[in-house]
Amino acid sequence: MSNPQPRSAALQGVQGRLDFRAVTKRYGPTVALSEFTHSFAPGQVHALMGKNGSGKSTLVKLLAGVTEPTSGTITVNGEDRHFTSPHDAFAAGIVTVHQELSLVPELSVGENIFLGRLPHRRRAGFSVVDWAGLHRRAGELLADMGLAIDSRQPVSALSVGQQQVVEIVKAMSFNPSILLLDEPTSALASREVKQLFALIERLRARGVTMIYITHRMSELFKIADTCTVIRDGHYIGAVEMRETTPSAIVGMMFGDAARATRPPRRTLDRTKPVLEVRDLSRSGHFHNVSFDLYPGEILGIAGLLGAGRTELMRAIFGADRIDGGSVVFDGRDMTGASPREMRKAGLGYTPENRKEVGLVQSLSTADNLCMASLGPISNRGFISRRREQPFVRRQIADLHIKCGDPELPVSSLSGGNQQKVVIGKWLNRQPTVMFFDEPSRGVDVQAKRQIFDIIWQQAADGLASLFVSTELEEVLEVADRILVMHHGAVVAEVDPTKIDLTELYGLCMEGAKQ
Amino acid sequence: MTLVSQTTETGGQNTPLKFLKTYPMEIILAALVIFLIFVAPGFASTSNVLNVLRTVSMLGIIAFGMTAVIISGEIDLSVGAGAALAGCIVAWFADRFTDTFGDWGAVTVGFAVALLLGFSLGYLTGRFRQWFNVPTFITTLALFAALRGVANLITGGFPMSSFPLGFDFLGGGYLFGIPFPVYIFALTFAAMHFLMKYTSFGREVYAVGGNMEAARLSGIDIWKVKALTLGLTGALTAVSGTLIASQIGAGTGTTATGMELDVIAAVIIGGTSLFGGKGRIWGTLIGVLFLGCISNGMTLMNVSEYWQYVVRGGIILGAVLLNQVLERVR
Repeated sequence: MSNPQPRSAALQGVQGRLDFRAVTKRYGPTVALSEFTHSFAPGQVHALMGKNGSGKSTLVKLLAGVTEPTSGTITVNGEDRHFTSPHDAFAAGIVTVHQELSLVPELSVGENIFLGRLPHRRRAGFSVVDWAGLHRRAGELLADMGLAIDSRQPVSALSVGQQQVVEIVKAMSFNPSILLLDEPTSALASREVKQLFALIERLRARGVTMIYITHRMSELFKIADTCTVIRDGHYIGAVEMRETTPSAIVGMMFGDAARATRPPRRTLDRTKPVLEVRDLSRSGHFHNVSFDLYPGEILGIAGLLGAGRTELMRAIFGADRIDGGSVVFDGRDMTGASPREMRKAGLGYTPENRKEVGLVQSLSTADNLCMASLGPISNRGFISRRREQPFVRRQIADLHIKCGDPELPVSSLSGGNQQKVVIGKWLNRQPTVMFFDEPSRGVDVQAKRQIFDIIWQQAADGLASLFVSTELEEVLEVADRILVMHHGAVVAEVDPTKIDLTELYGLCMEGAKQ
Repeated sequence: MTLVSQTTETGGQNTPLKFLKTYPMEIILAALVIFLIFVAPGFASTSNVLNVLRTVSMLGIIAFGMTAVIISGEIDLSVGAGAALAGCIVAWFADRFTDTFGDWGAVTVGFAVALLLGFSLGYLTGRFRQWFNVPTFITTLALFAALRGVANLITGGFPMSSFPLGFDFLGGGYLFGIPFPVYIFALTFAAMHFLMKYTSFGREVYAVGGNMEAARLSGIDIWKVKALTLGLTGALTAVSGTLIASQIGAGTGTTATGMELDVIAAVIIGGTSLFGGKGRIWGTLIGVLFLGCISNGMTLMNVSEYWQYVVRGGIILGAVLLNQVLERVR
């Protein structure tokens, strides 16, 4: 805001020492962060790891000036700082790139970068926006970061990965010495992650200190210099990445939590499919997709973001229109059915963005668990908490949903537990087929394990599922069979026991075996 | 976000503060009533109390339906005009069809027609949103203007008052010493409370208003739910309109002017969120009583009508602010 010289901004910024001394944050009786003491060395990429609810988000909020510590001090470049607003954090040279993108899709890339501080010039006595200057400076900034993005393009024309990169460019235009990246890769496919990492490397070379939050273990070893682990609000330790292993970090994150492993694969009865999809097309999204799904089978769909995985599932479920092809469910033609009809036929769908469309955040856990099965629960339309009780209790017990009082809003639950509520909502209907779209996104490792266990257990009981995940290692682990999608078409069908990660990545990226 | 599960173990801290946060409007209403008992001459007299109850009944019957509409994430601006039209339809039937159906028969048929029309217009408003993506704000704004026009067209611009003998009982009579509309009011309250709390339809209304896409992906017929809440409100509007016509003894196109604002105000004062998904029928009952008491109290205290408008505006804003503040401290 106060810095009208973004180009020089990107070239400066080589301080970036950050110290926490006994920083504690309480919310009422809950201690979110307890006596956190640690020094982040300047010019390095510091990964911050911890499962959901460990205090990571609190740490980010404190640094971003969103909340204030209850006690303790934060020192930036050797100077004690007390942030009462995000503006104070900016002033101290700390900029945060939040998990949710905060760009305005309709505006151009350049305008987004300088939003709220557009450059002006005099024209006939009036101060008008200096568009030429803006795009020149935005262009310089983008080129400076090694990006080939036209600053005049609307942000909506960019891929999610490019948008994430623009977000970082915008953050860097504030000339920060410390950059906070909160799960920047959570919505990115691997190619886009590479681009992002190239940018991070560039910033590191300039001496910017980065705090990098992620759930993806594999990324740490590629990009981070150190890894700091917190658990239940306590500082557990910090390690140099070249001196540690994934299992050591997992050990720090979870203490003694056991790692479940995949149950042995079973031979499936492939005589009668429960779902038959033939030549299904939706223009602009996917075309001529055909496959069969058998009872008890977990069919994984692998592909990059935008390959048409989610769109395919939504169309089969009836959430989106289809342009051609057919869907046969349990021997009945269900082409073009509504979600309501598909639900009745025995299909359930847990959407990828559970917060936005999987749950009604204003309602309680109990309400959400019963939402898809009000018909079966009610007695001729009449319903009461008493009638709902068994349905609510069963899912909470079976899925190990940690929710305290089920009458409290579902919004108070952690990501993993919210995901379980979405799954429980459908299991209450005893579906024959389930579509799981990114069930592990934004969920900690332990909850992820539990969710996979649920999927395997249901499959053993005969439930057929489609499983989609951006993380290919998950698809390899969870699925019995994998379809690879590329640009809206199914390009390969592979056996997860006979393909390795590199090959699968290759298929997803290139669309064919090389 | 991730912390709350730990903080809620205690559940109820039974302090007076907690009580204050849970029942803010109840407490304010009680304070208002106590204040008026001491300050407004004749407020506590039996006849005045019954009078207040009768007045709030007409408003409240519609407000309970409106609560469902607003929870479902929609709005209905046409209820004032709809009430006027319903009264005119009943009056018109009484005027024209007494020979065909008999005097009470004509009124009954008129009421049935008004009821059906009210339901259909509401239902279609919901479907309009589905088919043509016209917000209910616009459709009901159009109806707000058009229905009052139709009411005046039917009556020719003059009050129509050829009701059968005893028709005034519905709006103006007493049963066991209590105004008849109060029974309808109480019945509507009980029915709507039950509908919203103990039926799957009620649960669906909350789900649809809280998150339309999540409800749709849960297999709920969101448009049907919205259309039905609007239809229900239309039907309740017809009931209220008929009672008003009975009370004033005529069907006229100019009754219930501005009623939609009072109805919406009552719902909002009762804590229902205009963003949808949140609200209670009980809250609306409090809101209706609050509005009734305050306007009656001001009249008794000889506050000018103009000031009454100003006060009412202040109350609406104050109630919303209070709810926002409470939302934050909860």
